[in-house]
Amino acid sequence: MKQTIRTSVIGSYPISINTQELMRDYFAEQQSSWAPYIEAAIHDMTSAGVSYVSDGQTRDPFIQLFTRKMKGCRIRERTEIIGPIQYQSPITVQDQIYAKRLLPRQVGLIGVLTGPYTLTKSSIDSFYHDEKEIAFDFAQALRKEAELLTKHVDFISIDEPVFSNELPEYAPELIQIITKGISCSTRLHVCGDVSDIIPQLVDMPVDILSHEFKASPHLFEAFLEYPCKKNICLGAVRSDDVVVESVVDIIAHIKKALAIFDGNVVQIAPDCGQRFLPRQIAFQKLKNLAAAGEILNGG
Amino acid sequence: MYSFTKEQKVFDISGISIGGQPGMYPTVLFGGLFFKGEPDFEDAKRHLQILYERSKQTGVPVIPDFFIRRIEYIEPILSFIEKTIPKKHPFSIDIIEPSLKIQMLEQLAERKLLPRTIYNSIHIGITKEEHEALRTYTPEAALIVAFNPKDSSPDGKIEVLENGAHLLETGLLETTHQIGIEKLLIDTAALAPGENSGAAIAALPVIKEEYGLPAGCAIHNVVEKSRWLNDFPFAKKTVDVGSNAAIPLFGGDFAIFGPIENAELVIPLIAWQDILVSEYTENYFGITPVPSHPRRKLLK
Repeated sequence: MKQTIRTSVIGSYPISINTQELMRDYFAEQQSSWAPYIEAAIHDMTSAGVSYVSDGQTRDPFIQLFTRKMKGCRIRERTEIIGPIQYQSPITVQDQIYAKRLLPRQVGLIGVLTGPYTLTKSSIDSFYHDEKEIAFDFAQALRKEAELLTKHVDFISIDEPVFSNELPEYAPELIQIITKGISCSTRLHVCGDVSDIIPQLVDMPVDILSHEFKASPHLFEAFLEYPCKKNICLGAVRSDDVVVESVVDIIAHIKKALAIFDGNVVQIAPDCGQRFLPRQIAFQKLKNLAAAGEILNGG
Repeated sequence: MYSFTKEQKVFDISGISIGGQPGMYPTVLFGGLFFKGEPDFEDAKRHLQILYERSKQTGVPVIPDFFIRRIEYIEPILSFIEKTIPKKHPFSIDIIEPSLKIQMLEQLAERKLLPRTIYNSIHIGITKEEHEALRTYTPEAALIVAFNPKDSSPDGKIEVLENGAHLLETGLLETTHQIGIEKLLIDTAALAPGENSGAAIAALPVIKEEYGLPAGCAIHNVVEKSRWLNDFPFAKKTVDVGSNAAIPLFGGDFAIFGPIENAELVIPLIAWQDILVSEYTENYFGITPVPSHPRRKLLK
């Protein structure tokens, strides 16, 4: 039977970095290679049976991953903004090209971007003194990255966890800078409790909304109050708990979502990035997620 | 030429002073031995003699840096150090493999050599076992390699010192502090040409202004990796030696040069560069060179 619900990830995956190997490269005066870590993340995700994978975001935490390569940003304990934010050169594109080469034909690739508002709120500003201006400059820079990514990925996912704590009135404009006219589908991932901002979320200029329905099951009831025509990526396993959800449990959770969103549930995924889980646990969660999806798809 | 607003630390490492404001103390030279092949002790003895003689003539302090590649070399190299290096004079031990480092530390302790040892080096590859061994057998001083595989810029080097660039639980400075080593020398991690090699030099004043710690690097490695210079063999040697002058010019405190055969050329070059720096920094910043400084020794 044709699969209708695709399994997906949010972004990060827990791969240990071999610092001794990196130092051996340094002493041999060879450039450090991140290929083994991308390969390991891709290997786990594809072995687990995930339909849409990421490169694992193993290089850096999701803020530094982007700000490190943007002009105007300086990395200290946190990112410091010390000049006008500008896009300098491709940030994640090379890793995505490498990841794509590793994928079996039936597996899709997600281009993951950390959203402009999350980048803004995670940085210390010593230059702009205007939060909105920072957010818009981050959005313009991310737009350039998104345009390059469309040549290599199946869809783009914008990760905006800060929205659940604080949603600026200009949030739709920010997201639209990245998504308008982009040639692939787009997903907005907002983890945390989004029950208070659902009316705004359902109007966001993206194709898919992604939320942590497993850790926050009350979101089902909250969404019932608002008509949502958007496609949904359903958080179906927790990213903050080492207990591995059984396939039966995941299926029950998905069925609950299907009753509310009907055919709009197009993806199932972990609630968030899996960076903080032990690798074996993260893998098993993905495996059970994929198994649940397969059963529901009649496989 | 530089003078720093941050108070500059000066460490006495077994009789050699390192650090401070540019122009105050002479640049310390680490001369590398045994990087290739079997250790040739007769050859090394000859080169060390020249190293110390030129140091005495010029006032440029020297520290031999012994590279140990194999476990079977530990014992003969440490015996060589005991017999050949002047008593109380410091030396550094350069090992890459953590397991070898641990065995070397144990032997240094047995031979009571730790108070003269500069540990080369602590970096992001430090293991738990190495950390424990260093706490048990703590050397007098350590070189900290500020190599950040994520960011080769001076900011990246600061990041790895501060927080380990998310590759370690703590930054390299805190790691070294936990071990109990207080005399830290920051190696700004020279990278190959094409990989932002100039950042190792640019980072020298940045590190000194940020932490006030002695800073330097092995900039001559960049010359060795500049393959295009192979077409200019005579110039290559000159560039290799000359590259070391960039370190005192940018406010650095030590240069790790090699091979030790170059001592004949590198030591007078550094003496010349130190004089140049000292003349200006005394005139403009009022930094008086110590009596042993090449300027005091060579300019009568």
